[in-house]
Amino acid sequence: MKNAAIILWALIKGSLITARHFFTNLWFHFLRLIGIKKYRPGAVTIQYPEQTKPLPSRYRAAHRLTKRPDGKPRCVACLLCATVCPSECIIVEATEDPDPEVQKHASRFEIDLARCCFCGFCVEACPEDAIRMDTGRIDLAARSRADLVWDIDQLSRGRS
Amino acid sequence: MAEITIDGRNLEVADGLTSLVAAEKAGISIPHFCYHPALAPEGTCRMCVVDIEGAAKPEPSCSTVIRDGMKIETRSPRVVEARRNVLEFLLADHPIDCPICDKAGECRLQDYYRDYGFFSSDFHEQKKRRSKILKIGERLILDRERCILCTRCVRFLRDVTKTGEMGVFERGDNSEIGVADGVPVATAYSGNLVDLCPVGAITDAAFRFRTRTWFLDPKPSICPFCARGCRVDVDVHPGFARYPETGGILRVRPRPDATPAGPWICDVGRYAWIEIESRRARRIVWNKGAAEAVLSGDKVFSILGAKIRALSESGRTDRLTLVLHSGLTNEEWADVKAFRDGFNPRPKIRLADPPDDGGDDFLRTAERMPNRRGAAEAGCDLQPLDPGELREDTDILFVFAGIWGDIGDLERRLEVWRTIRTKALVSPVLTASDPLFDFVFPCAIPYEKSGSYIGFDGRRREFTAVRPAPEEAESEGEILRSLLAACGLGARTPGGS
Amino acid sequence: MSETLVLLIKIVVVLAWFLVLALLLTWVERKQSAVMQDRIGANRARIFGLRMFGLFQPFADAIKMIFKEDFVPPFADKVLHTLAPFVSFFFVAVAVTTIPFGPTVRIGGTAIDLQVYDGSAGLLFLLAMLSLGVYGILLSGWSSRNRWGLIGGMRGAAQLISYEVGLGLSLVGLIMVYPSLRLSEIVAHQGALFLGFLPRWGVFLQPLGFLVFFITAIAETKRVPFDLPEGESEIIGFYAEYGGLKWGLFMLTDFMEIIVVAALATTLFFGGWQMPWLGPDGLNWPWGGHWKMASWVVVCLQIVSFQVKVAFFCWLQILIRWTYPRIRYDQLMDLGWKLLVPLGLLNILGTGLIMSLK
Repeated sequence: MKNAAIILWALIKGSLITARHFFTNLWFHFLRLIGIKKYRPGAVTIQYPEQTKPLPSRYRAAHRLTKRPDGKPRCVACLLCATVCPSECIIVEATEDPDPEVQKHASRFEIDLARCCFCGFCVEACPEDAIRMDTGRIDLAARSRADLVWDIDQLSRGRS
Repeated sequence: MAEITIDGRNLEVADGLTSLVAAEKAGISIPHFCYHPALAPEGTCRMCVVDIEGAAKPEPSCSTVIRDGMKIETRSPRVVEARRNVLEFLLADHPIDCPICDKAGECRLQDYYRDYGFFSSDFHEQKKRRSKILKIGERLILDRERCILCTRCVRFLRDVTKTGEMGVFERGDNSEIGVADGVPVATAYSGNLVDLCPVGAITDAAFRFRTRTWFLDPKPSICPFCARGCRVDVDVHPGFARYPETGGILRVRPRPDATPAGPWICDVGRYAWIEIESRRARRIVWNKGAAEAVLSGDKVFSILGAKIRALSESGRTDRLTLVLHSGLTNEEWADVKAFRDGFNPRPKIRLADPPDDGGDDFLRTAERMPNRRGAAEAGCDLQPLDPGELREDTDILFVFAGIWGDIGDLERRLEVWRTIRTKALVSPVLTASDPLFDFVFPCAIPYEKSGSYIGFDGRRREFTAVRPAPEEAESEGEILRSLLAACGLGARTPGGS
Repeated sequence: MSETLVLLIKIVVVLAWFLVLALLLTWVERKQSAVMQDRIGANRARIFGLRMFGLFQPFADAIKMIFKEDFVPPFADKVLHTLAPFVSFFFVAVAVTTIPFGPTVRIGGTAIDLQVYDGSAGLLFLLAMLSLGVYGILLSGWSSRNRWGLIGGMRGAAQLISYEVGLGLSLVGLIMVYPSLRLSEIVAHQGALFLGFLPRWGVFLQPLGFLVFFITAIAETKRVPFDLPEGESEIIGFYAEYGGLKWGLFMLTDFMEIIVVAALATTLFFGGWQMPWLGPDGLNWPWGGHWKMASWVVVCLQIVSFQVKVAFFCWLQILIRWTYPRIRYDQLMDLGWKLLVPLGLLNILGTGLIMSLK
């Protein structure tokens, strides 16, 4: 019997907590609605497509191929990213570059973002700082798997 | 015999060895750039220095002949320091090209820097700029910045091929490797310079930027392009995951025991696969007049089997002729024999090898096929083909083209051609004479077979497939066995292929 | 003639009230749970750019459910499968007819009860209708010809029947206190005062009875602490094979049950439409003041009082649903048979004892 009383009290205490949240949040929603206390929202959530959470500066988002000062991709197709990639989602093919100082560049550079696990090893491995994950793009939904295989143009476009 | 001590281990070695070789025989490897087991020691790189008791300073082990009672230290602090300094000087001008260098991954400079380096260089000067893409041969590209002047290439051309196209020019800091008067390296063994170069100074235009070396899977095989039977490593790229089309044969290199003369192969053996791969036949084709039908292997074998059975029922299987070449393995010759003995009267077996050329006086033999002795020993009483004898004599003709898809002057004998009712070609590559045949089968190239050859010296050399053949292609032996089975006259016999 | 017309109007108004409130409750449930959990809740449905705090969400849901495929599994009993949600819906809709919404009003000389059906055994009728709701569950589980659906239906039937015992027992004491089964009379009894200042509400006379009633009634709605028949997130339940409008009907029935429970709690234990100290001629303060009011004002106040109480109980049920975790099935049965039924019996005994001593 004593047990039942404890349980009943615990149940009441629990609903008092949720009720308290209900009324305080409702009160702040109301204040916000009539234009007072705009800085104190009634909810902790974010209205995603309109509001976005600022990403941490080192957040690993979709990849980007960086460019040389003259606009050509930095990538020299050394394949270290493809070598280190644990999910085997990078494929690179190299070709001759007309510039003897560059010699080699990627003719094909594809990342299958559907496979990618966003570990950032490719960025770590790159000796040329040619690949970064600083686009801040996290909305990587697509209607087909093929749309998630980004080619060299898509990857070079970077922040878009 | 001499008793010496290397790193505290007492060894008994033959007289006259250098200390580097003696150490290697004991399993102690000494780093080196300019030393090459098949070339005379030069002693220019100083990487192989070792401490010898009694010597005032470290001595290059590659050119120090052992004496009885010698005490050698290969890892003493003084030696390690000396090697570190050598590396520092070599790297003073060496560009950090590794991301675009084809040698990366099998580069001695990289390996030794990992073993002895990891220093911050004391050189703050600008690295010297030199020409980077210098074509010094049909497939050779010289990068002078990467060169460490080990002179292995110069010594190879001087001592082995004795053509001497290359040399060291200028002096001191300006020393450069180059070809004399701009005349390119034209020897038939030029590809070996790429293997010889311990760094990425001489690279292979055929392999240039195709992949990185660590993706390659070296598979041992026997070079099938002449009777020498050089042992080679076929470097196969397995392909990127989920992109199998990115894989394939990318390089053929001599193995350290390629020939008794040294780890050398000729440029034919090194590069011939490129053209063959680009012309590979991959599908079974049935030429019906102008139309070209694509059929499954089983269907084609049943059609051909029915034709042969018809011949057999009227007792005229001697009007079936097989034109073969001696590039077949010994095991495939056994299949040929089984095929021949499966019929009565026996079908005609003729041999159509490309004519012998002169070869050269180094490695290439005169005969172009790898297994003529094996063919002779197979017991099929082979006779060379005389195209004229086929006239009015043959109803069904099988031609097994060689690795190049050549069928000799057969295709020019049209008057013979028209008298043959059914003609089939088995060829690893697409050829200009494909339309002349009713059926064209793709077949495996020698690298895709397992078996053995008997070379010019009568020695048997066994090898295994470096990769599976293309989906519809089979080896010649398998085709013969399938055909025999399709005739319904003999079960598939087990045997090598 | 006019009586039939009045009855028809009453039926239409009550059903409209019932369905609109149920529809609104779907929105309230979403929003209330969101606010309780520091969220915002569904707010995207909009008409001509007007969002209205997501008030259009029920319409969006309805449109979605209408356009979904009306799917009957090929192996199911098609007739019963279609019938089941209507059975559930029908009995709940009938149950609400016995609820008195307000006092008897006089319009143009005719006395009109603000109640659709005032049977002499109204309470029993209501309980009977609520009990018949179990058929909808059992039928849906059975006719789906799905093992999990059937097991879910059996779970639901076992739970509802078990808790009906407690529910019935908890109301016996009440019937003893207000000696009537007619709901209008029960409400009328609660207009008087108790101990001089408290309204004579059931909750004051039967506190234990109310506790048992409320717990069992929540269990009858099959919602979260007691949602073992369905348990969407983990266990497959009786409407696993339902989709589209028929599934929507089950959901709507759920919300209608909330309203019925709220209205029942109001009517039986919280004075129904009675407002404390409000007599037919105005407010009579317990300390002796009197505010005179026109009779139509009084009626309006009483109707609003009923609505407010119903709204509070709806809110409370949703609060409970979003606060407590689901209990285990053995705990459910223990609670029903070993705690609530004995408590109900105890309540009857105590009530009888006190009444006989008086």
